[in-house]
Amino acid sequence: MINSFTLDWFFITLIFSAGLYCMLVSRNLLRQFIGLEIMSKSCLLAVISVGSVTGNLALAQALIITMIVIEVVVVAVGLSLLVKNYRLTNSIDIWSLNNLRG
Amino acid sequence: MTTSLLAYLLIPLFTAILIPFAARKRQKLADILATVTLLAGLINIGAILFNPANIANSFAGVPEDGFALLMIFVIYLVALCVTFFSAYFIGEDSKVNRVPYYSLIMTSVAAMCGIVIAGDFFTLYIFVEVLAVTSFAMITSDDSAKGLEGAIKYFLLTFPASLLILFGIAFLMLTAGTFSFENIKIIIASGMPVGPVVFAVSLILLGFLIKSGVVPFHTWTPDAYEGAYAPVSAYLAGIVTKISGVYAVIKISIMFRLFEIRAYHTADILMFLGMLSIAVGALAALRQKEFKRMLAFSSISQIGYIILAAGMGTPLAILGAIFHLVNHATFKTVLFLNSASLEKGAGTSDMRKLGGMEHSMPWTSWTSIVALLSTAGVPPLSGFWSKLIIIIALWDGGAKTYAVLALLFSVVTLAYFLIMQKNIFFGKPTEASRNAREVRPAMLAPVVVMCLLIVALGVFFPYIYAYLVETIAARIIL
Repeated sequence: MINSFTLDWFFITLIFSAGLYCMLVSRNLLRQFIGLEIMSKSCLLAVISVGSVTGNLALAQALIITMIVIEVVVVAVGLSLLVKNYRLTNSIDIWSLNNLRG
Repeated sequence: MTTSLLAYLLIPLFTAILIPFAARKRQKLADILATVTLLAGLINIGAILFNPANIANSFAGVPEDGFALLMIFVIYLVALCVTFFSAYFIGEDSKVNRVPYYSLIMTSVAAMCGIVIAGDFFTLYIFVEVLAVTSFAMITSDDSAKGLEGAIKYFLLTFPASLLILFGIAFLMLTAGTFSFENIKIIIASGMPVGPVVFAVSLILLGFLIKSGVVPFHTWTPDAYEGAYAPVSAYLAGIVTKISGVYAVIKISIMFRLFEIRAYHTADILMFLGMLSIAVGALAALRQKEFKRMLAFSSISQIGYIILAAGMGTPLAILGAIFHLVNHATFKTVLFLNSASLEKGAGTSDMRKLGGMEHSMPWTSWTSIVALLSTAGVPPLSGFWSKLIIIIALWDGGAKTYAVLALLFSVVTLAYFLIMQKNIFFGKPTEASRNAREVRPAMLAPVVVMCLLIVALGVFFPYIYAYLVETIAARIIL
């Protein structure tokens, strides 16, 4: 089996930075969510790559499937919050969330 | 996973599924079902903890670890208080739908029990995420703009924590090949080089520090607590964020004790962050004008004590951290439920609009005094003993500067709470407080029970200390 561990981690870092960049530059809440999703995909890649290099692929696949299910639920709840917020304030700008301050 | 405690997870989950079917026609049935389930669980766990036979033979007949049992007791207690309180708090004209509200509370109780009985990091991660999902939904249960804003901030600022935990799990798989707490302890004890394992566990630790709201990562805490629906903020501050973050930090710090070289200074950083949260939380709470926001900063400050003791890592410090976690759950629930009572009775919890509430709401005033004195560490209430244990442990462990600073900021705690008490309950009645009425006795009952518990934990401290030493220190730390 070809050991692609280094190459894997090169791409994991790349995807993680892409997600981080997407979160940092955008003021749009939806794009922030997309950035978070991209970052979490890099985590899943990390787990599967580690599973392949340690010869634990079955365990890694089981973990990945569980993680995907969990993530779908979390993101669905996050998107529902976003939709509710859009209905109330008619805006998805992140700087409009400034009503709570002491 | 401790399979003998699984019933505490499964029964609330079953009730959560049952509520939408059973209470479709009659909404009142939802809170009856939830309260009865939680009360049954509380009596069950109480029969184990307070059984005279078990106390007499120093819990030799109870094989489970005492930390999990104690945490399950606190989870059921706080959840019962909140469900009982909100059964009367949700009015007829309220926007809150009882069925999903109680269903979510029961699911989160199940998730918290799952966290407590988890035996490996992956199970812990799954239940933490389940708990996070239920709390996002619970914060917005009254559909207010503030609640939504708090929930979105909570979501965006704590999601990176899950990413860190996932990366930590990946590194743990690479370096240790296992996630279970026991196996990691065996690997550390076997004496092989542990640097990479420490790195992996530290990533997970960082994730849980974000989830618990320690100071550099505390920005979501005040917003989420202030925006949340009033009884939900008591539930969040009292138990949810403590179990999802601080519990795991204490668990990891117990593990770190096994590293001979103090875990490459990770424990030192943990202590520094704890001290920073004590200072920043207390000083920020001094200048808050909104009751719930001030309590949120106070909560950050109290978490600081727990993290400071967890970073110290001696058995006495860990006992102090666990006892302070229990005490924090009791007195913070009382204070947040009182802020909810103020919203119900006077229509606001803003300190500038309130004053002289002790005449119209005497019970709320007195229970607040008990809780705030316990938070500030006044003997003989429970908070005094846990802070005393923490400070003695710090002094013994050689961190004398931290011990003195922790003592000084305890005085600041008393200062901001007295400012709050003076502004809201003492002084001349204002427009808002003249029209205020005391809430119904049923809503005062959970608060009064919690206050009695605060006094009892303080007065019967020798028994509590014996329990902590015999079941926690003797079994899992040493």
